[in-house]
Amino acid sequence: MKNELIALILAGGQGTRLQALTRKVAKPAVFFGGKYRIIDFALSNCANSSINHVAIIGQYENGSLNNYIGSGKTWGLNGVNTSAALLSPRQTEAGYEWFKGTADAIYANLDWIDSVESEYVLILSGDHIYSTNYEEMLRTHKQSGADCTISVMEVPMEEASRFGILEANEEGRVTAFKEKPKQPKSNLASMGIYIFTTRVLKQYLIRDAKDENSSHDFGHDIIPTMLEKGKRIFVHRFQGYWKDVGTISSLHQANMDLLDPTLADELFGKSRNFPIYSADLPCLPHYVGKNASVSASLVNQGSVILGKIDHCVVSQGVEIGEGAVCTRVVLMPGAKVGAGAKVTDAILGPDSVVAEKAKVEGKPGDIALYTGRQ
Amino acid sequence: MNRIIGIVNFHSSPEINPLTDSRPLGSTSFLGRYGLCDFALSNLCNSGISTIGLLVKDHQRSILKHIGSMDAWLSNTKLGQEVVMYNEAGHLHPESNTDINNLRENDWVLYDASIDYIVVVPAHVVMTMDLRPFINEHIERGEMVSVVYAQEKNLQTACIGSKVLNIDEEGYINSISVNDGSTKGKGNVSLGCYIINRLTLAEMIRQLLPKKPYMSLGELIVLGVRNDMFKVHASKYDGFYRIIDSFHHYMEYSLSILEKENADELFRPDWPIYTLTHDTPPATYGKNSSVQNCYVANGANIEGTVVNSIIGRNVVIGKGAVVKNSIIFSGAKIGENAKVENALIDKYAIITMGHGVSGSKKSPLFVHQGAML
Repeated sequence: MKNELIALILAGGQGTRLQALTRKVAKPAVFFGGKYRIIDFALSNCANSSINHVAIIGQYENGSLNNYIGSGKTWGLNGVNTSAALLSPRQTEAGYEWFKGTADAIYANLDWIDSVESEYVLILSGDHIYSTNYEEMLRTHKQSGADCTISVMEVPMEEASRFGILEANEEGRVTAFKEKPKQPKSNLASMGIYIFTTRVLKQYLIRDAKDENSSHDFGHDIIPTMLEKGKRIFVHRFQGYWKDVGTISSLHQANMDLLDPTLADELFGKSRNFPIYSADLPCLPHYVGKNASVSASLVNQGSVILGKIDHCVVSQGVEIGEGAVCTRVVLMPGAKVGAGAKVTDAILGPDSVVAEKAKVEGKPGDIALYTGRQ
Repeated sequence: MNRIIGIVNFHSSPEINPLTDSRPLGSTSFLGRYGLCDFALSNLCNSGISTIGLLVKDHQRSILKHIGSMDAWLSNTKLGQEVVMYNEAGHLHPESNTDINNLRENDWVLYDASIDYIVVVPAHVVMTMDLRPFINEHIERGEMVSVVYAQEKNLQTACIGSKVLNIDEEGYINSISVNDGSTKGKGNVSLGCYIINRLTLAEMIRQLLPKKPYMSLGELIVLGVRNDMFKVHASKYDGFYRIIDSFHHYMEYSLSILEKENADELFRPDWPIYTLTHDTPPATYGKNSSVQNCYVANGANIEGTVVNSIIGRNVVIGKGAVVKNSIIFSGAKIGENAKVENALIDKYAIITMGHGVSGSKKSPLFVHQGAML
């Protein structure tokens, strides 16, 4: 059965700027929003967009990521004519090598793309937080007769030099593309989400693989070459919340963003029936104690709050002791805050332990990352 | 455990109206997240029993919805299976809709030579019971029928309607009576858990049923004991249990799990209670929310004050609302400045802005599913 659209999620990044949080897990597997891992958003978007074959391409610490995804059942990817393929660098007849870049990661898995047969291929990153239906982007791609469509959003001009920046004409056709330009001429930023017509993608990946001067990257090599050769590249304008949580401060901020009910609803899709799926472990609903105080917070099942929390994101297995006070804190699964402790402007890593009466204090502009076990 | 089928018995649960008007007690919500039958299903699964039959009496819809894809309570999904057993004839003749007739309708259980023992557990009893010691004892002693019981402290205030066992020195049952609440003091209360040899059960049904076609499994065992047809062994369970026998006990027992000692006894790290996931995001609390001594399920949105209560999935508690000593089922909405005290608000019900509803501890108020007050 031929598919219309399949997806490959790039999930091999190390995410070094997340420091201790990615010491043993890939960035897409980092916990987010009390219940989720970052990659749940990309996977759930695929599932909710009726994409039936999704490959997850890992490299850095891919073991735990692969175990997490398993058969893909959490996202419904275990049905008939449906698959979650876990791909990573492998030994072949030609030898073995790590992926040299994002384009190389796809090139090395062209055999998977061939095996599932699809008219179009969606390529996206596993470390972005957003909720979208890729069917709308596919519509843009088909309507414009594009070879490649890039999802874009407007960013503040002063931040534009951090992104791949595009220029597009009135019909949305891309006229110029520059990865992280020093003097950006537009504020249309690529979100690293591409739909390619499969035939064209293969052609350019094979050509790029032979090019010894290429860095084998979509933004640096594939897109510029396609533009140069006059291929039809179009933009698809994304409106809504999108965040690349690359640093401790942006991860903290993205968690705090969820405390805005309108935004939480946009991301969690409760009112549009567009849920984010995630592993669900057996546990009680969360318990709020007799002397506790909970305000302006997001609290997942399986946690116990005996102290006081304000502007916090609380995950499963978290325990906050009597008299402890947490303000603007992201508590990852299993984090324990001892009685009388004080934690402010911080991320508490998975299974971290803050001792009784201890203090972990960051500042609004300088978020503390605490992963101690004591 | 091979050669064993676990049967979750929905027939043996009492009707607790109005709570069970549209659902069996076994699939009634508990603690905001579970269905009562999750305990029975998880006990079977954690005890290593991989073939599980759900002996459904009525309201099949409600049970199927909770059971979902039927594999949330299985270890190896190839080795194990979950089967819904339904007595179609019982629908037309309610008086014949008994667990025994249901088993006869699904009589492969009685004939399947790969099964040696049938373990029946009630769908509505709240407990975390490792069945393996009882099964092993049954097998080692070479018994035909075993019943698991617990010692209840005061028969006047609990386990009304349960069977009370009189046990001899060798651990066999002498006589069985029904607790009508008139006897003060302690007693051995049957937990409705039976371990029966398959061939014994088939023989019991063959011999006794033609005479008493509307008998339940429990009554069949009483009859067997009375007529000295077979010996029934009794095994004692010492763990936590709550037999839900009335609406006010449902409220009382649910809210009692807010006490840490009870919660710790019922929910043990080595004995997970599985349930169906609904993919609901974590609960959200507003700036002025005030919550004390509560369980709150995912998807809830709390802006008001909630004390000593259980808040179900996707419940909304509006600004200025006050909820005390109550249970709010999933999807219900408590409007701004509304007051709810000593009440159970069933699914999707709406308490409108500023409205107040209250019952008493002894006689809690029930607000029907989908009602708007």
